[in-house]
Order: sequence, then structure tokens, then C-alpha cells
Amino acid sequence: MSYYDIDAILTDAEKIPCTFQLDIPDLGYLDNAPDRPLKAGTKVNLPFWLAEMLAIANAGDVDGKQYITFDLPPALSNDVVQALKADPRSVPLRDQSAHFYALATRMMELSDEPELASVLRKTFVTRASEIALHARKVGGVGHSKGKGSEEGSNLGIGGAGEEFLRGLDEWERKLFRKAHDGAKATKEWMETIKRH
Amino acid sequence: MPMYGDLGNKLVIHAKRTQGLAHLPPYQTELVRAVTREVRDLNRDVESLLEPFQGSFDPTQDHATACTLLVNHLSMRRNKRCLLAYHRTRTDKLEEMVWNGVDVADLAGPQAGGGRGNGPGGAADGGSSSGSNLSPQEEDYVRQYSDLLAAYKGQWTDIDLTGSLEPPRDLFIDVRVLKDAGEIQTEYGAINLTKNSQFYVRQGDVERLIQQGYLQKLG
Repeated sequence: MSYYDIDAILTDAEKIPCTFQLDIPDLGYLDNAPDRPLKAGTKVNLPFWLAEMLAIANAGDVDGKQYITFDLPPALSNDVVQALKADPRSVPLRDQSAHFYALATRMMELSDEPELASVLRKTFVTRASEIALHARKVGGVGHSKGKGSEEGSNLGIGGAGEEFLRGLDEWERKLFRKAHDGAKATKEWMETIKRH
Repeated sequence: MPMYGDLGNKLVIHAKRTQGLAHLPPYQTELVRAVTREVRDLNRDVESLLEPFQGSFDPTQDHATACTLLVNHLSMRRNKRCLLAYHRTRTDKLEEMVWNGVDVADLAGPQAGGGRGNGPGGAADGGSSSGSNLSPQEEDYVRQYSDLLAAYKGQWTDIDLTGSLEPPRDLFIDVRVLKDAGEIQTEYGAINLTKNSQFYVRQGDVERLIQQGYLQKLG
């Protein structure tokens, strides 16, 4: 992940539910109340780039008290995880977060979530094969005998898979595009071979 | 309620969109200025927070101030990253255009063709069509980068580094002139390229002109 990576930057903008552990007079604005001090115990949704460092930094106390504690964002809540366990293909990940996997990876850097990790691994594998399947179909690349001059290169062209493809997160979209371009390039190459 | 870093995020969303476009959308002068202003404001806050301590601030003594300082610092750092990433995305694109032989003067227009549009939505942008899409600094950057590239390419006279990677099928091709391109010298004498005329020329002689959009290859 590069410093300049646009998707990484957007991932870091995702909000995380945090709870402040200290009274902080000047940070009331984080809780929509610039005139009041921020009380310990206040729950605020903070972007990841802020929450991460606040959670890691301890207040330098003897008892090592933290500025904030955090929970998993709604995108990774138990409901979502249960739905993914039931059928990974039926959950539109994009509705949870456009950077679903990236966000999950970032969260797991902060806290150990072995169960989440294994669910997500299974989710990705199941969905990846589905994505590959759709990528070959779109634009008539498949094994059909037709010359297939239609060059549908856009995402989500008709078909039953439209709903599924709409729910892909950024990472999966990239995967889809690569698989699709690959299949298309192979087809083009095969055709030039035949001509000579 | 707007938060520190929100404006920077807008900038990055612009950058994200830019990645998928074939041309370069207008430079977000206002947004860039607003984000830099935010950084300056934050810095002023930090200075006034630290002032009473006369340089002897001890974070373990004053958690609340330490936390505020941390939040301010992180917000500045975040803004910096957003600013840098936004500009980097654009310069990457500009460099690519220079390599693709897009005319620098054309870049000033809203519809700078050139760059092969990959990815979705290469459609026209809703940006204003008046003036240049580049900031003055970017124009300077393109100019200097073009000079650098030209100097680099100049080392090899018989290889065109920015030439097409597709091996030609025919030595000679039919071309139609789309824009007046003046007279060019070829092995077979001079040709005067006036608009709408058609020629049968050696591909190698006109490759650059095709790339730059002066000529169109026929057949």
C-alpha cells in the first residue's frame, strides 16, 4: 500500500465507532458541539486515519490509559458476518463499504479478529470464482462459436449477474476488470492467430 | 457538521474520478486552497495551545491537551497526504500524456484526446470549458517534462522511444489529413499536408502526426 494510493486514502476515511476515555475540553467539535467539552464515555464516529493513532497512542499514564477505544464499524458487524457465513454471494459488499476488504484488513491490523479473518477469506474465495465466471460471460467472450463482434467492455451489462456485480467492492471490481480484459485479450489473440 | 479532513477527502475523490478519465478534468484551485488554509488554521491552533507552556510541554501531565495536539497533528498530516496524492495523480496522468505524444498546447483545452481511455466512463467531463484545465504549475511541469523526454529521446536517432509498439503490417499506408500540418520532408520528397487531402505515405514518416491527431489512418 503506497502513501499515494488513492484507494488506500479513501479506505482510511471510513468511519469507525469510537468511545473517548478522557475528558477533552477542546475536542467538543468532534461530537458536533464545539462549545462544550468532550466528556469521557462519549461515542463518536471517527475516520480511520484519526481513530487508528488515537487508539494506539496511550495517554502516557502509568496505567496506560488510552484516549479512545473502538468497535468494529457497521460494515463488519455481526449481522454482516452472519450473512456472509450463510451465503457470501448474496451480500452486496459495496453497500457496506466501497472498500470493504481494505477496511477489514485495516481493522484487523488494529485488533485480532481470527473469526472475521476466516469468514472473509472464505467470502473472497467464493466470490472470486463467481466474479471470474461473470467476467468471462460479459461481452460474449465465452466458448460460444459466434464471431462475437459485440465488444461490451463496460461493467454490469444486463444478465442475471447484474445485481451481484453491482455489489462488488473496489478490490473485486479490479479483479473483475482484470479477468474480463484478460479473457477479451485472449480471444483477440486467438483470432489473429487463426488469420495467419 | 464538517470535520477536519473532509475537504481533503473531496480532493481525493476528485483524484479517484480522474484515474478513470481519458482526459484531465479542471484543476480544483478552490479546494486545494481551502485545504491548505485548513492546515494553516490547524497549525495556528497548535501554536496557541502550546504557547502557555513556553516550550516545556509534558504530555504526561496534561492528557487533554496532548490529545488535542495529536488530533490537530493527525489532521494536518492527513491533509498533506490528500494534497500530495491529488497532485501526484494528476502529474502521473500528465506524464502519461506526454509519453503518448499529446500536444502540450492541446492539454490546455477541456478535451485533450490522446491517452487511451481505459476503465469506465471516459465520457466528457462536466467541468467548465473556459481556460486551461491545468494549474500554472502543472503547465510548467508538462513543459519541462516534455523537454526532458525530448532530450532523453534525442540520444537515439534511429529509434523512436514514443513510437507505436504495434509492428506495422504495411510499409505504406493511406492517410487523410484532418488538420493542416504544413509541409513534411520524406525520403520521396516534400509533401504538403493540407486539410482533407489524402496521401499514400510511408508509415514511419507520419506516425507522430497520426498520434498527434493531424492525420487519420485509412483502411
